Amino acid sequence: MVPLNYFLILAAILFCLGVIGFVMKRNLITMFMSIELMLNSVNLTFVAFSRHINVLSGQIFVFFVMVIAAAEAAVGLAIIVAFYRNRESLNVDEVDRMKL
Amino acid sequence: MDFFRQHILSITTFTPLVGAFLLLFVGKENKNAIRWIANLFGFLGLLVSLPLWFWYNRADGGFQFIERHEWIKTIGANYSLGADGISLLLILLTTVLGAIAILSSWTAIEMRVKEYYIFLLLLQVGMIGVFCSLDFFLFYVFWEVMLVPMYFLIGVWGSDRRLYSAIKFFLYTLVGSVVMLLGILVLYFHMPEGQRTFDYIQIMNYLHASPLASNIARFVWLAFFLGFAIKVPMFPFHTWLPDAHTDAPTAGSVILAGVLLKMGTYGFIRFSLPLLPNESQYFKGMMAALAIIGIVYGALVAMMQKDWKRLVAYSSVSHLGFVMLGMFCFNPNGVNGSVLQMINHGISTGGLFLIVGLVYERRHTRMISEYSGLSHVMPVYATYFMIIMLSSLGLPLLNGFIGEFTILQGAFQVSYTWAAFAVSGIILGAAYLLWLYQRTMFGEITNEKNKTLKDLNFREVATLFPLVVLALWIGIYPKPFFEILERPVNKVVATVQPDKFTVDSMGNLIVPDKAKANPLPASVPAGTEAAAAIQRDLPTTQSATPGVEKK
Amino acid sequence: MTLPQVPILPILPELILTLFGIAVMLFDPFTAKPHKSWLSSLAFIGVLAALAGNVLLLAAEGEYYNGMIIVDSFSVFFNFLFLIIAGLSILASRQYLVREGVNHSEYYGLLLFATVGMCFMGGANELIMIFIGLEITSISTYVLAGFRRTDLKSNEAAIKYFLLGSFATAFLLYGIALMYGATHTTHLSQISSALLTGRIDLRLVLAGTALMMVGFSFKVATAPFQIWTPDVYEGAPIPVTGWMSVGPKAAGFAAFLRVFFVALPALDQKWFWVLWVSSVLTMTIGNTAAMLQSNIKRMLAYSSIAHAGYILVAFAALTPNGIASIMFYLLAYSVMNLGAFAVISAWSLSGERRVTIDEFAGLGYRQPWLAAAFTVFLLGLTGIPLTAGFTGKFFMFRAAINSKLYWLTIIALLNSAASLYYYLRPTIAMYMREPGESGRTSAPQDSAPLQISMATKVVIAVSVLAVFYLGLFPSTILDFAQSSAFLVH
Repeated sequence: MVPLNYFLILAAILFCLGVIGFVMKRNLITMFMSIELMLNSVNLTFVAFSRHINVLSGQIFVFFVMVIAAAEAAVGLAIIVAFYRNRESLNVDEVDRMKL
Repeated sequence: MDFFRQHILSITTFTPLVGAFLLLFVGKENKNAIRWIANLFGFLGLLVSLPLWFWYNRADGGFQFIERHEWIKTIGANYSLGADGISLLLILLTTVLGAIAILSSWTAIEMRVKEYYIFLLLLQVGMIGVFCSLDFFLFYVFWEVMLVPMYFLIGVWGSDRRLYSAIKFFLYTLVGSVVMLLGILVLYFHMPEGQRTFDYIQIMNYLHASPLASNIARFVWLAFFLGFAIKVPMFPFHTWLPDAHTDAPTAGSVILAGVLLKMGTYGFIRFSLPLLPNESQYFKGMMAALAIIGIVYGALVAMMQKDWKRLVAYSSVSHLGFVMLGMFCFNPNGVNGSVLQMINHGISTGGLFLIVGLVYERRHTRMISEYSGLSHVMPVYATYFMIIMLSSLGLPLLNGFIGEFTILQGAFQVSYTWAAFAVSGIILGAAYLLWLYQRTMFGEITNEKNKTLKDLNFREVATLFPLVVLALWIGIYPKPFFEILERPVNKVVATVQPDKFTVDSMGNLIVPDKAKANPLPASVPAGTEAAAAIQRDLPTTQSATPGVEKK
Repeated sequence: MTLPQVPILPILPELILTLFGIAVMLFDPFTAKPHKSWLSSLAFIGVLAALAGNVLLLAAEGEYYNGMIIVDSFSVFFNFLFLIIAGLSILASRQYLVREGVNHSEYYGLLLFATVGMCFMGGANELIMIFIGLEITSISTYVLAGFRRTDLKSNEAAIKYFLLGSFATAFLLYGIALMYGATHTTHLSQISSALLTGRIDLRLVLAGTALMMVGFSFKVATAPFQIWTPDVYEGAPIPVTGWMSVGPKAAGFAAFLRVFFVALPALDQKWFWVLWVSSVLTMTIGNTAAMLQSNIKRMLAYSSIAHAGYILVAFAALTPNGIASIMFYLLAYSVMNLGAFAVISAWSLSGERRVTIDEFAGLGYRQPWLAAAFTVFLLGLTGIPLTAGFTGKFFMFRAAINSKLYWLTIIALLNSAASLYYYLRPTIAMYMREPGESGRTSAPQDSAPLQISMATKVVIAVSVLAVFYLGLFPSTILDFAQSSAFLVH
């Protein structure tokens, strides 16, 4: 059997990749996908723990997370589309009407 | 009547609030109606405060007219008011100057009249409240709330750099008061759990029974110091004052100088001294040094001023230095003189600001060089100016002399150096005031515009007359004032220097047997004798006012 | 086979809000455009009904649904707070939405749904429930922030809030997962007892705590995770900004408080210093940056950061008193800020023009009551006595001093005094400058008399009264907060 740590480390790597992707990429869609990657790495963690301690609750949480991620995706993409219509660009550097 | 007697402090405090509230419902075009209502309530405020003078029991040095209601029970804050002799005089000073300030604005304010009077009346509420609160929370509320109307008075109706001055005033004092709040909270948490309260008397009793650790006590003292010293203002914290005084409208300056600054000195005598006597002793040298620097520095800078109002503003720094010096003598003479000098300063500097305001209203300039020979066209004005100027510089028979002399007596008992510096301040004070008078009132009228100036009308005389009467009263017969101050002051002094002075529960000094042989403490059972001696024997006191004699 | 009995009382306010939210959206297609305003009335009625339902909750204290939801006076207090915020926001938005041409009833539906999420956050007794509540709130808020869909600034606000918000949520969720792995539960009090046994992997717990802290810090906008706030607040529609600055923030604090005091008290010495440092940074950054702003929404955004910093001061006190004072302050801050934004929305012109501080010149004499109310709100935010802001800050700093946090309190007090500088600037513009003095020439139609709707007037009047009520007679609310704070602690 694969030890728990393997899953956890894999999840951590995926999470970090998500963070790096979010910070480095300039395309809105890619940034959004990086966030999805982070959420999925969390799902992996939940499932791994759930299996390790033999409690089902962790796997149920994954469903919650998936549902919510779907809702978030729907809303997020709609927002991105609205922006694209006004600006004709998906580059985050052009989200610059207000000084940071 | 009974109700009135039991709630006289509340009624005095909130009468102006009723006026402000009524003004809200008067149309803003009705300028004269607004003025009448405001004046009515200014006068009414004075009227309801007058019984305090008669009902006050002079034989009891404790707080009287006490009112107490629960307010925020969870934290132990109460609505509790009370007055002893010290606060009593300051309350009366506030109501008198308040009424005068309102009256003096009749023609000076033509723009946004309604808002102006509302703010002036609100200011009055805050100031009276500060002087009669016996609860730290309540005190702090009044203390800070009164900044708001003052800020607007300076910022909206001020002159020249009013925005800068208004913000500076507000920020400076707010920084001081938030630090003071910290001190208040430390005292509050010093009380044992379950008994925590903001009640002044309970905190004082508890502090005397079980004092704070000395490093914390010093910290608290300094926190209070910052709050009060900015308000006074003492030397390094005074920079807001010339700006605020100069740019405020006349009534604002009168209130600022007359009452607001006294809130700082009052804070010292009401809170710092009785609550933390050992620390007050510890910082005595520093305070005296700052006071003396203030006296001399204020006077020297005043002498350099080209702006009439700024000159008067700096003279306040100098005079308030006297008040602080007297207070930190910790003997009955010094403290009596200090409190009386607070009143005197309110009368004479308030008067000086009115005087400046009167010509400013006519000419819209405050430059001293713009004026000369005004006594030819405005003889009545020149006369009032002279009396008030002389009272400010401490001429015998006028109020300033009594205060300064008593303070000097107190200072002499402590240190000749202190007294010597203080005397030099009086000389300088005489110099800049007389020079100002000479430049503006005497000589030829060089400026064409001054030739057609109108002398004072009845209303304007009515604003100055009460001040002159008070100045003469205190100058000639100060006994009633000292009678009111004597016992509360004794209590303060005995708290700060318990090894030298003891009092009974009413505030009478108990003279120990061995001290009888020593003329120093025995000669000062009260300021009254000293004051009486002054009147009997005028020539001996010339040394105190050499500036006058030289001229 | 019988279905298990499911009690509906514990989530009655949430249910009512959901039903009304759905109703508002369902009725929308059948309502002619000129009559759309009645849907906002419907939403408002929904809030009132939920408030009534919330009163019933007082009698139903306890844990429900396998411990996922808890009803106690803490959650009831926050429900009240969220519902008041929702009610005032609905009223404050009516005129604005019509003026900006975005009077779609989804707005009210989303506002109600977001409030549902906030109520869940206040009543959650379990980490996943908090996550769900948080997401319901956030997803609704993303849309609300971008509600002026043809406006680029509003788009940007939505995008920034959406990206950074979901980014932060991922951190929170990862923290929850690690905590779950370490303690084998997500139930708050079970986590607490698991931590006390000492037979757990502390590294996982600490990592989980840190990640959750990041997530919460994002949501309540405390340093160093406050960077999204100014842009989002500036770009979002004015009433939404007002609502965001108080509602989701209060909900974030509710969950933050409950998680850290119920689940993690065993580690309080570890997160105490994080709070301390974060508090100092948050206050100072917020206040310093606010001084430099010219747009009033942006200024209030930074001020909102500073206020989160003051709240952390009381948080760091780690006492029931501290919690109670935070609850009181959140209420006080909510009415002040909602009032201030209602004034801004009343004064601004269509297309969100006239929102720089200088452009408030002359408001004092054109609309004396409006200006007076704005002054009250600004002074309240500064913390001048007689206002809710003073009593609120006073209670918080009192709690901090009680825990001997002298330096933190001094920094907070000085910050609070410094904040006066920028809160005074609108008053200077309103009262001490004439219009046009700022150098801008305003179009003639801009000086047309202001039309302020009844609903906006009600919001402003209620807020002013609440500011004074909380400033003068704070006892009732404070005592209630105090009694519920002990439950959490």
